[in-house]
Amino acid sequence: MRWLAMILAATLSLSAWALDLQQAKRQGLIGEQLNGLVGVVQGGGQVNAVASDINRKRLESYRDIARKTGTSLAVVQARAGQLNIERTPSGQYVQLADGRWQRK
Amino acid sequence: MRVAILVFWSLWLAACTPRVEVVVPDKPITVNLNVKVDHEIRVRVDRELEKLFEQEQELF
Repeated sequence: MRWLAMILAATLSLSAWALDLQQAKRQGLIGEQLNGLVGVVQGGGQVNAVASDINRKRLESYRDIARKTGTSLAVVQARAGQLNIERTPSGQYVQLADGRWQRK
Repeated sequence: MRVAILVFWSLWLAACTPRVEVVVPDKPITVNLNVKVDHEIRVRVDRELEKLFEQEQELF
C-alpha cells in the first residue's frame, strides 16, 4: 500500500513538473543551455524552482550515462546541450556561447 | 677476453639506446586512436541520451 502511494506520488509530482517545464519553455521563461541544463531567461522564484529541480534530475541521469559509457560528465553535458538545442522548437529560447539568450 | 666482452657489451648497449628513443615519439597513431575513441564515445553517449529523452520526457 505504501509502495503504491509512493509510486503514485512520484508519478503525479513528475507530471506536475512536466506541465510547468513545458509551460515555462513555451512562455519564454526557461531556455536550453549549452551545458545540457535549463536556464532561467526571466522570471521569479517559481521559475527558478522548476529549473533547479529539472537540472538536479537531469544531472543525475547525465552522471549515469557518463558512468555507463565510460566518459566524463562534461562530455555528456556538452552532447546533451547540443542535442537539446537542436531539438528546441522555434519560438523557444536557447543560450548562445556568449551567454545571451536567443529566440530560435 | 673479459675486457673484450665488456667492450662489446657497452658498444651493444650504446648502439641499442638510440633505437629505443626513435621508436617512442610516434604521434600519428596516438592521434588517430584518440579520434576513433572520441567518435565511439560520442556515438554511445548520443544513443544513451536519445533513450533518456524518450524515457524521461518530462525532463526535456
